[in-house]
This record gives sequence, structure tokens and C-alpha cells, in this order.
Amino acid sequence: MEAVAEHIQEELNVQTVFTIPIGGGLPVAESVVVTWIIMGVLILLAFFLTRGFKTRNISKRQAAVEVVVTKLTGLVGGMLGEEGESYTTYLTTVLLYIGIANIIGIFGFKSPTKDLNVTLALALMSIILVQIAGIRAKGVKGWLKAFTQPIAIVTPFNILDLVTRPLSLCMRLFGNVLGAFVIMKLIEQVLPVFLPAVFSVYFDLFDGLLQAYVFVFLTSLYIKEAVE
Amino acid sequence: MNSLIAIGAGIAVFGALGAGVGIGIATGKAVEAVARQPEADSKIMKNLILGCALAEATAIYCFVIAIMIIMFFK
Repeated sequence: MEAVAEHIQEELNVQTVFTIPIGGGLPVAESVVVTWIIMGVLILLAFFLTRGFKTRNISKRQAAVEVVVTKLTGLVGGMLGEEGESYTTYLTTVLLYIGIANIIGIFGFKSPTKDLNVTLALALMSIILVQIAGIRAKGVKGWLKAFTQPIAIVTPFNILDLVTRPLSLCMRLFGNVLGAFVIMKLIEQVLPVFLPAVFSVYFDLFDGLLQAYVFVFLTSLYIKEAVE
Repeated sequence: MNSLIAIGAGIAVFGALGAGVGIGIATGKAVEAVARQPEADSKIMKNLILGCALAEATAIYCFVIAIMIIMFFK
């Protein structure tokens, strides 16, 4: 048991891979490097899969890419509604990133979403986007006025929402990925053959993708609320 | 000291009770809804899975805190 605890603890620590020598030295964490890998994969996929597209006599590759893109943007756009449709591209990107980040543990990388800083950054980006969406849709006056809606007495709670929303987004994603990881490690201790593969389908694949969906769903819900 | 830590972790997991009750109620209502309107099955299913994921988060918080109690207090 001691060895497991030590192993899990070691996996939880985010190691610094290297330091960029600017000023006092800029440490680059492991999660950042894995994020770069995910970015690289996504950019290369987007680049090579979209070569030579035609409007007639489309290839199988083009048909597949079109189906995936239409489905994903349709999913996110449906959650955002008509008024918030311009935020679809950003949220689809976030969905792709979190989805891949959650399941990249299968390929032997350390999941970036297991680092609290990454989920915190994602949650902060979401809440800033929500406020910007509110300002863009209603103007500064309307945005400030929205804090006193529906009645003036709820203003403190609306302001508190600015803190609790990103906090819950961040902790939900982090906790789920961490929980799935710890459970998988414990299962591996019980029986290292066959059993982990079965549970991995649920904890790594299903739960990882579901949490990416939940993150995007909640963000789009907040945006929808802000632009209305 | 060790036994106290174990008891603390056990108490922390008690919060998972809420998630269990919540998911149970949600699933019960979903089954009722499907029985009433079988054609809305896919829509109900989508909302149910989403609701379960949100309710499950509380249980996950408890789990994470329990793990942290065990790991960082020894």
C-alpha cells in the first residue's frame, strides 16, 4: 500500500521539464509540453486532412471530415442557441482539446487536465468569455444591469457567481480526471491483467469525453444566459 | 493518529450519499418520463446522462478529499 501511495503522489506532482532562460528562468511544466503535443497533433490533423478539398466528386476522407466537423459544430451550436452562435468555434476547440487531454493518458502521456493549473486556466478563459459575451451583446450598461436581475437583492449572489462558477468548472474537471486516475491505479493493484482494460473504457474513455462535454455544456449555458 | 486519518477519510466519503440519492431520483424520473413518452427517449437520455455527470461531481469531490486526507496527513 505504501508503494501505491508513493507512486500516485509522484504522478500527481507536476514536474518541470526544462526552464526557459528568460529573466529569472521560466519553468515549463510537463502539462504544458503535453499540451504542445496535443496542439501539434490537432494542427497537423487539421492541415493534412483538409488538403485538396473539392466541391464535386468528394473523396471519402473529405466526407468523413465534413461529417465530424458538422456534427461537432452542430452539437456545440445547438447548446449555444442562435444568439451565441459566434462562439461555436472557440467552444468546439475547447471540446476537442479537453477530450483529447482526458484520454491521452491511455497513450502513456500524463494527462494535462490532471494539473490543477490547466483546468483553472480553462475555467478562467470560460468565465472571461462569458463576461465578454455579455458586454458584446448588451453593452457595458446592460451587462452591469444584468447583475441586479431579476431583483436587486440577488446582486451579491450574482457577483459571487463570478468566483464560484469558474471554481466549480475547474474543480469538477480536475477532480474527475484525478479520481478516474486514482481508481485505475488502485484497480491495477488488485488485478493487473484484463480488469484494468474493462474499467479503462468507462473511466478513461467514457468519463473523459463526458467531462469534456459537461465543461463545454456549462460554459455554453453561461454564455446563453449572458447574451439573452 | 493513523486510525484517526482513516476515520476522517471515511467521514469525507459520506458526502457521496447525496450523489447516490440524487442520481437515483433522476433515473427514476427519467424512467417515468420514458414510460409516458417513449418517443422522447433520446432527448431524455441525453439530459439524464448530463444530470448524472453533474450530480456525480459531488461524489468525486468527496473521493478526492478523502484521498488527499490519506495522502497528505501521514
